[in-house]
Amino acid sequence: MSSTELEIRQRRGTVALAGREARRVLSLWTQTILPPVLTAALFLAVFGGALGGRIRHIEGLPYLSFILPGLLVMTVAAQAFANCATSLFQAKNEGYIEDVLTSPLRPRQVALSYLTGGLLRGLLAAVIVAAIVLPFAHEGAQPGLAALALIVTGLVFATLGVITGIWAETFDQQAFIANIVITPLALLGGVFYAAHTLGGPWSTLTRLDPLYYLVDATRAGLTGTHQSPPWVSLAVTAAVAIATFSLATTLLARGWRLKP
Amino acid sequence: MRAPADLDRSSQALLVDRLTKVYGDGTKALDELELRIPAGCFFGLLGPNGAGKTTLIGIVSGLVRSGAGRVFVFGHDAIADLEARLLVGVAPQEVHLDRFLTAREVLSYHGRYFGMGKLEANARADELLDVFDLSAKARTKPNRLSGGMRRRLLIARALVHRPRLAMLDEPTAGVDLELRHELWRYLRRLQSREGLTVLLTTHYIEEAEALCERVAFIRAGRIAAEGTPAQLAELFGGARLEDAYLEAMRA
Repeated sequence: MSSTELEIRQRRGTVALAGREARRVLSLWTQTILPPVLTAALFLAVFGGALGGRIRHIEGLPYLSFILPGLLVMTVAAQAFANCATSLFQAKNEGYIEDVLTSPLRPRQVALSYLTGGLLRGLLAAVIVAAIVLPFAHEGAQPGLAALALIVTGLVFATLGVITGIWAETFDQQAFIANIVITPLALLGGVFYAAHTLGGPWSTLTRLDPLYYLVDATRAGLTGTHQSPPWVSLAVTAAVAIATFSLATTLLARGWRLKP
Repeated sequence: MRAPADLDRSSQALLVDRLTKVYGDGTKALDELELRIPAGCFFGLLGPNGAGKTTLIGIVSGLVRSGAGRVFVFGHDAIADLEARLLVGVAPQEVHLDRFLTAREVLSYHGRYFGMGKLEANARADELLDVFDLSAKARTKPNRLSGGMRRRLLIARALVHRPRLAMLDEPTAGVDLELRHELWRYLRRLQSREGLTVLLTTHYIEEAEALCERVAFIRAGRIAAEGTPAQLAELFGGARLEDAYLEAMRA
């Protein structure tokens, strides 16, 4: 068999595994899509509706318009992470990952396939939330920039999910990462506040949070308001995505916690 | 021109050269194991628990990290060359099937992971469902199948991508006598229909006698003896393969 034929077979295999992941997301929509959409809608109703009447403007924006970009980033990050971590952990825990491990797929193709499911889940939930809320929010300035920021968000957190799925040996470990890493990152990411309004270490912590830059870039895209240059934010977080993807690929290649 | 060593490798379905595997806890599962399985052979690997049968299959199929030594499948390096994966089909000892898919999808997705087109994989899935008498359960998810059906589906899955070497790790372990004989019938049928090389690991001597043209005894990660059942019986001075096996394990 020529190397070209092998590559064609590997590409077909990648499409099939990515398709299996996408199918899992869609067939489990009551667990994968509905809950994050409801959560984001409730956040917007409570914070945008109840508090929005009292907090007139932040950074010159109505509160609803200010928090919407961050909520979209939070939704994409949490769902992309959860999908990859859960799907890979399930496959490992229940043993059917052997179907993938015995296949001729390269490690980066396996990572890419799982990442596809995570991206689909995160972006689909975000698109539904945006479709519901955008008519009531500030008009988009650069929607392409916002979309790019959300895709980069999905890439970073989906690959973190792949790494967590490989690492976790119990459901508790997987939940631990979601609760100890992902949730604090989301809450410190400047979704509900402007970073400069916080004092002392909290402002510094916010600026160390990669989600802050993704929220800021998405806000720049949707409202035109930002605190850091959006393209710098995107470049830095894209570099983080490449680093996490490389790590996930390396772990898959070594069979770390997958193969004895 | 290919060197003699290359020709020797490619004429063997499986060539294992001084393969050693030590697990993280220090257990030495394989100890410079040497094995050659000729193409087209129904080959049995007999040995007690912990002898290294599953580890060997795991390394050849990519489920276990390799240690020192080399493994070739029809001349392809099974550890470094991903093309070797296309030549191998494995049915592990434990039945693990994707619970999000139906029986037909388990087979067709497997074929597609190995590079088959969707239509081709679907057609092959239908063909194997028919061979293994599972057509009526095509739309059933694995967790709703009986134990015997799940075992048959697992063996069918190993064959979807038309491997040239099928490795079946204790396919009849823990199954009742009736199902065991049923599986023997399937195994004979698949070898004659598919014309492939079969590596079968088993604890059951009568199974090896009934199915295998050649047999190897494995003990403590090394091959203790190898030959036809008649040769092994003669070698160890017994009338039956069972006597030879017991003698080899005592030696």
